[in-house]
Amino acid sequence: MSIDSNYVHPEVLVTTAWMADHLKDDGIRIIESNEDVLLYDVGHIPGAVHIDWQRDLQDHTVRDYIQPEAFAELCRRNGITPETTCIFYGDKSNWWSCYALWVFRLFGHTKVRIVDGGRDKWIAEGRPLTREVPAFAPVDYPVPSARLDREIRAFYDDALAQSKASRPLIDVRSPGEFKGLVTHMPEYPQEGVLRGGHIPGARSVPWKEAVNADATFKSAAELKAIYQENLGLKTDDDVIAYCRIGERSSHTWFVLNYLLGFTKVRNYDGSWTEWGNRVGAPIEKSV
Amino acid sequence: MSYPAKLEAIISLFEGLPDPEKRETLIAYSDQAKAQEPGEGESFDLEDIRKDEECTDTVAVFLRIDDAGGAHFRIALGPQVQTLTKAMSSILCKGLDGITPEEILEIPADFVPRIVGAELVRLRSQTVYYLLTRMKGIVKVWLRRKQAGRD
Repeated sequence: MSIDSNYVHPEVLVTTAWMADHLKDDGIRIIESNEDVLLYDVGHIPGAVHIDWQRDLQDHTVRDYIQPEAFAELCRRNGITPETTCIFYGDKSNWWSCYALWVFRLFGHTKVRIVDGGRDKWIAEGRPLTREVPAFAPVDYPVPSARLDREIRAFYDDALAQSKASRPLIDVRSPGEFKGLVTHMPEYPQEGVLRGGHIPGARSVPWKEAVNADATFKSAAELKAIYQENLGLKTDDDVIAYCRIGERSSHTWFVLNYLLGFTKVRNYDGSWTEWGNRVGAPIEKSV
Repeated sequence: MSYPAKLEAIISLFEGLPDPEKRETLIAYSDQAKAQEPGEGESFDLEDIRKDEECTDTVAVFLRIDDAGGAHFRIALGPQVQTLTKAMSSILCKGLDGITPEEILEIPADFVPRIVGAELVRLRSQTVYYLLTRMKGIVKVWLRRKQAGRD
């Protein structure tokens, strides 16, 4: 399977076959990001480094992302310079790799790619895994001048303003979560949400609609049908996507931003674990 | 409370390990998860097979009670189940083997962080607790049926 050239930015995806042929290329870094905390240790694409969404990207003392200094240090120790093309892949149809990519974009790192189909496709095709952890000589990564929170990230107030102004809000969680029937995915832990429902005015488009059974992204035509024809969005719409903690919505952010070329998409990473608990935050149920 | 001897031994093993070795040992246990699946021709008193379409995968729990009243579990997991959960299936099948259903219901889940370690216990890793819940669930059903048979 090749990458659909009709995506607005097809260059942001690489196939598993391409990845297998370019493992030792200069100027790239393969990065695995997973939900399963031990999966990288079980085996990973040769040469891949592990970036853990909690340990490496978040600052739990303030429920926020790391600061630019820490991001620069993360890149330095993984042999990543501003010129390095970071190729992300992972489990769960690339939820966490899209999340990590999105965080890299928060720090202005634009040379990013996703392995279409992620870890599952790589394994399904019988491609090699290793337990060998690569080591890289430290390189220079200047501290980014800022984190680009205003450009691709939405906060509670942004989501509230979006709701009040009836601008597009996409709820990418499962239908049961959207309707308020459950506060978590089936068989998943309850992540501390007190109320079920969705942000008023949000439309339900589960992230899953954007992927095929093999975890690859659907074609440009199929994605356009979902988001533009059925949902009525335009590529210059101001769109905010959210889920429960921001990882599934990173996946949808990636689809809208890169594959369909939307120019103003933001990921509300506080998502339902913030909105559902926030005092005074209005919700709707069962639409 | 004290844990069953076999489980206590596994807990002690993990508590003595530094983090990197703990991870390696968990992976070794997860590699043994396949060996906990039902064998050819094996029969059980109860089976509980459930699949979740959204995220996690099939978790099938099989229970056999021997003539002395000891419980024996087999667990089959789908490929998408997390590594920690796979490891826990091996740990629990071995650690709870042979104890009575009543004893299983009394086991608290607080041994999990002692095995897994604080760094790996996360919200999204809490399916490790789910297995014990499922095992207790099937045991409860067995006990209810046994009770109903007496009534």
